Amino acid sequence: MKISVNWLKEYIPVDHTVEEIANKVSLTGIESGPVKLGEELTDLVVGHITSVTPHPDSDHLKLCQVDVGEKEEIQIVCGAPNVAEDQYVIVALHGAHLPNGVRIKRGKLRGQESNGMICGLDEVGVPAQYMPKEFENGIYVFDEPQTPGQEVYDLLGLKDEMVDIDITPNRADTLGMRGAAWEIGATYDEKPKFTKPELNQDKLKDLTDVTATVEEKDLVPDYLLRELKGIKVAKSPLWMQRRLWNQNIKPVNSVVDAANYVMIEYGQPVQVYDLDKLPQKNLTVKLAHDGDKLILAETDKSLNHNDLVITSGDEVLGLAGIINGTKAAVDENTTNVLVEAGVFDGARVRKAAQRHDLRDDASNRFEKGVDNGIVSEALVRATQLIDQASDAKEISKEIIGNYTKAQPTVIKGSIKHINHLMGLQLSSDEILQIFDRLGFTSELSGDAVTITIPTRRWDMEIEADLVEEVNRIYGYENLPNTLPAGMETRGGYSAKRELSNKLRDALLASGLDEVINYSLLNKQEVDDFNILNSEYTKLLHPMTEDHEYLRNSLIPGLVRDVAYNQARKNDDLQLFEQARVFDRVTGNDRPKELPFISGAISGNVIEDAWNSDAKPVDFYYVKGIVEELLTYVNADAQFSFEATADYDNLHPGQTAKILANGQMVGIIGKLHPNYQKAHNVNDTFVFELNIDALFDLNTRNVKATSAPKYPEISRDLAILVEKDIENGQIIADIFSNGGKYLKDVKIFDVYEGKNIKPNHKSLGYHLVFLNPNDTLTDEEVEKAFTLVKDSLVQKFNVEIR
Amino acid sequence: MSLNDTLKNLRENGIDEAKRAQKLQELNDLRVNLLGKKGPITKALRGMKDIPAEQRPEIGTLANNVKKDIQAAIEEKMEELNQKLVAKKLEEETIDVTLPATKNNQGTKHILNQTIEDIEQFFIGLGYEVAGGYEVEEDHYNFERLNIPKNHPARDMQDTFYLSDELLMRTQTSAQEGRDMEAHDFTKGPLKMISPGVVYRRDDDDATHSHQFHQIEGLVVDKNISMADLKGTLDALCRHVFGPDREIRFRPSYFPFTEPSVEVDVSCFNCGGTGCRICKYTGWIEVLGAGLTHPNVLKMSGIDPNEYSGMAFGLGPERFAMLKYGVNDIRDFYLNDVRFLEQFKGVN
Ligand SMILES: [Zn+2]
Repeated sequence: MKISVNWLKEYIPVDHTVEEIANKVSLTGIESGPVKLGEELTDLVVGHITSVTPHPDSDHLKLCQVDVGEKEEIQIVCGAPNVAEDQYVIVALHGAHLPNGVRIKRGKLRGQESNGMICGLDEVGVPAQYMPKEFENGIYVFDEPQTPGQEVYDLLGLKDEMVDIDITPNRADTLGMRGAAWEIGATYDEKPKFTKPELNQDKLKDLTDVTATVEEKDLVPDYLLRELKGIKVAKSPLWMQRRLWNQNIKPVNSVVDAANYVMIEYGQPVQVYDLDKLPQKNLTVKLAHDGDKLILAETDKSLNHNDLVITSGDEVLGLAGIINGTKAAVDENTTNVLVEAGVFDGARVRKAAQRHDLRDDASNRFEKGVDNGIVSEALVRATQLIDQASDAKEISKEIIGNYTKAQPTVIKGSIKHINHLMGLQLSSDEILQIFDRLGFTSELSGDAVTITIPTRRWDMEIEADLVEEVNRIYGYENLPNTLPAGMETRGGYSAKRELSNKLRDALLASGLDEVINYSLLNKQEVDDFNILNSEYTKLLHPMTEDHEYLRNSLIPGLVRDVAYNQARKNDDLQLFEQARVFDRVTGNDRPKELPFISGAISGNVIEDAWNSDAKPVDFYYVKGIVEELLTYVNADAQFSFEATADYDNLHPGQTAKILANGQMVGIIGKLHPNYQKAHNVNDTFVFELNIDALFDLNTRNVKATSAPKYPEISRDLAILVEKDIENGQIIADIFSNGGKYLKDVKIFDVYEGKNIKPNHKSLGYHLVFLNPNDTLTDEEVEKAFTLVKDSLVQKFNVEIR
Repeated sequence: MSLNDTLKNLRENGIDEAKRAQKLQELNDLRVNLLGKKGPITKALRGMKDIPAEQRPEIGTLANNVKKDIQAAIEEKMEELNQKLVAKKLEEETIDVTLPATKNNQGTKHILNQTIEDIEQFFIGLGYEVAGGYEVEEDHYNFERLNIPKNHPARDMQDTFYLSDELLMRTQTSAQEGRDMEAHDFTKGPLKMISPGVVYRRDDDDATHSHQFHQIEGLVVDKNISMADLKGTLDALCRHVFGPDREIRFRPSYFPFTEPSVEVDVSCFNCGGTGCRICKYTGWIEVLGAGLTHPNVLKMSGIDPNEYSGMAFGLGPERFAMLKYGVNDIRDFYLNDVRFLEQFKGVN
């Protein structure tokens, strides 16, 4: 809401600039910004049109002689359909600046001199949608004579300065000028002064023809009406109109405007009804029947039994606290009017406004709450304003549908505790003085304070609220900077997070860039890599199909990244992500959240450079990264790789399960060519590891041994073996026969093709023997080596070469 | 010619020849020819028998000196030639050091994780534990326990992805507060924790909104926690992250689970507070929300608000990183273009 500084001055003396006020209010209460309307406007004055004659060369243009307060009248050519003699109008003189950089210059229009422009409201900065309807297609005309030559800015509020407050939901008490005056007054230690509205006692009558009924008393604690008879609907006074359009409210007539004005002034929404359009002389607040209709100007709303409505007879007149339909709208012919002020349940209003897409100024206030201590006064004020502009013959007393006496809130607190929570040591006087500035009354008894809160601050409930009030008015800038001074604590990560960090560091060191992807995937993506074989976890109301399921693998996200980058010619990619996947078991709503670490490598791992040839990624490069990564698990376990063709989107001949002591902890493999093609990625290898599973293995205790003192002895072994026998099988067999001094076996050659018999391959192994405690003899080694060879021949039918 | 003169002649010629030599081989040959067993010096000494006995020692000494002198001349020249060879080799081996390196790249940690870990390290240093929490959370912890009952208007501010009536994607890492408070044994000292992680909101993705983003929640509960403690802690944090000359200020705000609640601004690190485009000419930039834990939140976790008080704060790593490095579009963090990612190598 925008708080006009001029309006504010009716309540509190403020002579600060609007920038200063906005800044101060931001620091002590509510986020605010300064608004200065019409800063750019110049040379706009009142003009009095003394004559209008047709333009000799135009059908629609007219020549106006205008008194602008100077010695001689000026001629202005004007094309507005509503221009006429004896009007008081806005004149932009030669040299005037208008909004959007428009500059007015004297000149000739179809041969006739024109020394300025007669303006419409929108041309001088009033938004077109908030101008009175009668001036929508023409110039603005003052209702009353003004002094020619006088600047028009104050008359029309064109250069109003306002503090635009952006309230948090708890401070709806400032959604009225009076509440705002209290808040701003408190920051400047000025108590606002308000005039109590009074009705013309001569017109007050005991009218009994109208009744008010509230069926849902819980939802409508207050429902009050007043009736005005024999009014003459007119235009509102200019001072009210300009305040309304500066609040982005379109002035309509003297009745509707008064209701809107009171909403701005008091923060209490007010509705008006043409009494003679009511089916019955009764207003009833109740829940709608399913299928009831509310007829609005542009559309109809179909209601249901959750909607709180205002009805008369069988007809729905309005949605309580939100909007009234056209049925009983007040127009220029209305003579008898009902004015309504009530309090409607916030949650009920909020839901209905959302449901019907009708959030507006009124519903916004009821949603956040209104001061139920001023309902009656606001109703008097609206009635008074209508009477002033529309001259009622008779005014009713308050017609009560429901009334709940507003009770001030009483909060007990302790000076010591309040100080303690702030980290300050203010005296009780200082604290009580702040309460006084806010208009709270306090009683002190020793350390205990009892604070009585006026109903306009319904957000205040507990001692902590008092702490906030004292602290903000005292000034947060005056707080010292301290650190919590309690017992010392040991900070740090959980053990599992430590492992994640370690694994991430290992992949970073291996040259992989870390990515962060979205957790929500589309259906296809959760189908593609459901390696966990888990039930999908689906959002109830996704926003798009792209983000509908919780991810069960990090691979789809990584593939997206590869595709995104390769589409941009970033072909060589080494990426990893450490994040959670969601693994749900049938029957459970809640998925397990498993920390995974996964990678994708595509393109060259050695670049084509002046001193090297390009080398594309292959399975073994990625396996090397994974093995190094597994070292950092510090596992007391045997890791192995087992070929698998189980996964549709992975290459059946280049994929392996990663096993720890025979249990699967992850996978590694090449993407299937069909999948690569469908996702527009080049040859890409991926891996995925379950950190939870690895964490359980993270139990290795290292007991140091000295570096060996005795020399190693090595033997090389070349064998010819059938093609489908795996290296892993050979190595395992070598180890099981190599004796206790066989320390290491490395494969140094794999060859098939030329000079090798069909379906066979030649393998070369390098065996290293070492006795850590003694010098090994050739005989010992030869004995072990022979056993190794014999076993290979026997088990795998190899030829020793 | 006397033997004496013969030896002196040999010396002169030998030294002269050594000096003229151009190759190591010539010097080797010279040594063998002149000083060897078949050489002219040895030959000349055979004439010793014709020399009177008393002169023989003198001639012997002369002959030794001649040998030494020639030897020295040869060695000197050899050293000279060797130095020339080394110099030549070095010149041949000279390379262009401006040619590009053989790549040996480490990867780049994602800038959001760099930002998060920088903040984690700061708090770990102050004795805070790091707790991860759940991304799929119960309505109970995400809202109810934070003083946000059903129908509370604050639920509008963070539209939620629900999985069922009671399960949702957490909208805030504050959801961890209730779990931490009920798990903590206050007889062992204060609760000091930060909870970093991913949160989710029903927002359309655009330059400033993302349906998924990160938060770091901080919570301290002890017997003497005050607004001044909150201010001191966040002041130190902002100096750590944004630079030692930064200041912070509190502005009143509203969160259902803190009372008092504040927004925290940091003095603009770009202009130092004089006003610029980044701080929208205010000199201040809003960086986080904070407050004292609402007594209801303490009570719901079985903590007596008359005995204990708490402070809580929540900050957004995306916002921090966007401010610190001038990232203009939050989606850049999730597109993972390696050219974007790799520019942050080593910044934290
Ligand atoms: Zn700045």
